[in-house]
Amino acid sequence: MFTCKQVSHSLSKDDYAKLSLTKRFFLQLHVKLCIFCGQFNRQVMDSQDMCRHFKEYEDTQCSCAYKLKEAKKDDLKALLAAHSVNSAEDG
Amino acid sequence: MAQSSQPKVEIAQPNTWVDRYGNYLYAYAMSRLRNTEAASDCVQDTFLAGIKALERFDGSRDIKFWLRGIMHNKIVDQIRKSIKENKVDIDHEDEALLESFWFKYSGITTTNPDPWQFNPRKAYDHSEFWDVFNVCIDKVKEPARQAFVLRMLEDMETEEVCKVMDITPNYLWVLLHRARQQLKVALEEKWTGKDVK
Repeated sequence: MFTCKQVSHSLSKDDYAKLSLTKRFFLQLHVKLCIFCGQFNRQVMDSQDMCRHFKEYEDTQCSCAYKLKEAKKDDLKALLAAHSVNSAEDG
Repeated sequence: MAQSSQPKVEIAQPNTWVDRYGNYLYAYAMSRLRNTEAASDCVQDTFLAGIKALERFDGSRDIKFWLRGIMHNKIVDQIRKSIKENKVDIDHEDEALLESFWFKYSGITTTNPDPWQFNPRKAYDHSEFWDVFNVCIDKVKEPARQAFVLRMLEDMETEEVCKVMDITPNYLWVLLHRARQQLKVALEEKWTGKDVK
């Protein structure tokens, strides 16, 4: 069984999902039973879980919240075209 | 036997990158930098670095994720630059927390945080929740937000984050605690009650 310090040390170094199955089991056992760290380490694990799901979401869905302006897109296209030509000539 | 040098996935030509990946990379940079100019610069630098390095791309994964890998370095550079301009100082409250017996003994910054007002796991299926989450990251104050972005969203090792931010691992742990607290407050304010449909 881990101590509170070992649990928080593990969670501060690694996302709990990356830990070995055995370590994860004892970690979860600790956060379920521990009366000292109570909700703290459970909430750290929740937060890591949430971030992992957010990253999965942003990889598959394009956020509507932020989009490049059309003018910026045109600038970038022109820049890429110029640099592609330069790279081809250099090559 | 000679190995085939054929890429495993289609390589999108640079002239299609803006339409295909522009918005994705911009949204990715915005959720981490919260600055339209810095995010646009990051996208531009990523594309230019991508063209230069394209011949080294082995086609083993989607080029979108390869470009995102390049962008990771640009984001870290932006945050490093911003920290150089505004050095991270430990405020009085955080210093007291770092020195507290309980933190030294257990590594725990607070023994009994308030429980969530809604069940976060139940919100994961709602795509609107992630838009709210994205907006709420902005409510976290610097330097806790930068620590959160590097450690939690960019998946960097503790030691690397401490190097970029020039802080100790213990202080990083305190900053992440602050970020989690502020994010939780912001999410509860904007989301509580919305997952009950």
